[in-house]
Amino acid sequence: MTRREGARGRWARTVPAALLVGVALHQLFLAQTVGLSPWFGGGFGMFSSTDAGRARHIHAFVLRPGLEREVFVPESLGVLEARARTLPSDANLRALALELAQLPSPDHGPATGVRIQVWRTRYDPETLAPGSELLRGLVVTP
Amino acid sequence: MTGSIALARTVKWLRRLDTIDVALRLTLLDLLLRPIGSWPIRPMTLMLAGAGLLFPWLLRRPSLWGGLALLTLVRFVADWPLADNHAYLLCYWCVAVALSLFADDTHACLSFNGRLLIGLVFGFAILWKLALSADFLDGTFFRVHLMLDPRLEDWTALVTGWSAEGIDTYRAALRGHFDAPLAAIPPGTALPIRFERVADAATWWTASIEAAVCASFCWWRPGRIAGARHALLLVFCATTYIVAPVDGFGYLLVAMGFAQCEPDRGFTRGCYLAVFALILLYREIPLARLLSDAFVT
Repeated sequence: MTRREGARGRWARTVPAALLVGVALHQLFLAQTVGLSPWFGGGFGMFSSTDAGRARHIHAFVLRPGLEREVFVPESLGVLEARARTLPSDANLRALALELAQLPSPDHGPATGVRIQVWRTRYDPETLAPGSELLRGLVVTP
Repeated sequence: MTGSIALARTVKWLRRLDTIDVALRLTLLDLLLRPIGSWPIRPMTLMLAGAGLLFPWLLRRPSLWGGLALLTLVRFVADWPLADNHAYLLCYWCVAVALSLFADDTHACLSFNGRLLIGLVFGFAILWKLALSADFLDGTFFRVHLMLDPRLEDWTALVTGWSAEGIDTYRAALRGHFDAPLAAIPPGTALPIRFERVADAATWWTASIEAAVCASFCWWRPGRIAGARHALLLVFCATTYIVAPVDGFGYLLVAMGFAQCEPDRGFTRGCYLAVFALILLYREIPLARLLSDAFVT
C-alpha cells in the first residue's frame, strides 16, 4: 500500500464520521443556547421531544409611537417564520421582524420597531393539558 | 423437499451478490423512493440516482457519488435548519461511498463507515431521548405525538377505538395554546387506559432497541454483542417503520447495514432485502386502517 493510498483510506474512514459528529455537536450547542428544536439541525433528536417546530408559535407586535399592534405572519413569509420558530436565533428573528415591519398597516407612519417572541408548548405529563412558555424574544429596530 | 432446495438456491444466490453493488443500489433506490429537496436539487438528484441504477458502469464511479454528496450537502445547507435528519445522514453516507471508492479496500472502508455512522446516529438519538429531552422518558412524547401527528391517525384510532371526530376534538384541545406558564384547561375526554399503555410500551421499546443498536454498532470487539448488530438493526427497522412515517431513513439504514454483510451471511443479506421491501410495503399498505376497520366497531 502506497502512502497516498493509505492516506485515501484514512480520509475515507475519518471524514464522514467527523462530519456527523461536528454537525451533531453544533446542533446540541444551538439547542442549549438559542433554543434550536431537537428535531432539526442534524443532531438526530427527532422523535425525542414534543418540542417540534410546529409545537412553537410566534407573536409579533409592530411598534409605532404610542401604539403597539399585533400582526400575523402571512403565508408568503412561511419559510422565514418556520426558520425563526425552529431556530430562534437573533439573525432569524431579525430577518422575520424586518419583513413584518414592511407589511401594510392601517396605522400612520413608519414602524419604529418590532417586538417578536417565540413560544413553545409544554404538556402536563398527567393530563397532557398544553401550556406555553416564552422561549426567546427580541425587539428589532428597522 | 422442493422448498428446501429453493431456499438453498436463494441463500447461495444471496451469497454471490456483490456487497458493494447491492448497498449502493439500495442507496440509489432510497433517493428515488424518497426524493430530496426541491428545484433544482430534486431533478438533478433523481437523474443521477436513476442513471446509477440503469448503467452498471456508472454505479462505482466516485464522480457519481461525489455529485450526490454535493447535492445532498447543498440541500441541507440551503434549507438550514429545516431539513430533516434523513437529509444529513444521506449526505454523510454519499460522502462515505465517494471516498471509499477511492480507497484500496472499498468494501472494508464502506463497511467501517456504515457501522460507525449507524452507531453514532443511534448514539445521538439515545442521548436526546435519555438525557436531554424533558418529556420522552415520562411517556409524554408518545402520548402527544400519537395524537397530534395526522400521519399516525389510523394507529391512534386503532389503539383508542375513537372515531376521527373524537381524535380531532382531543387534537384541537392539545393544539390550543395559552401564553401562560401554568397548564391550561385539561381536555374534557380522558385517554383510554389502552392508549396510555401503548404509549408507555412505545417509549420503553424505542429507548431499549435504540440503545441496543447503538451499543452493538459501537462495540469494537468481535463476539456476541457485535454479532447481534444485524439482528438488532433489522428488528429496529421492521418494528419502527411500521408506525414511523419516515421510510426514507429506514431504506438508508438498510443500505448501510447491508454494506457490512459479508458474503457468507446469505440469510442476513436476505433479511436486509426483505426488510427493505417491508418498509416499502408499510408505506403503501394502510395497515392500521385495515386493522381498524376489521377490529374497531
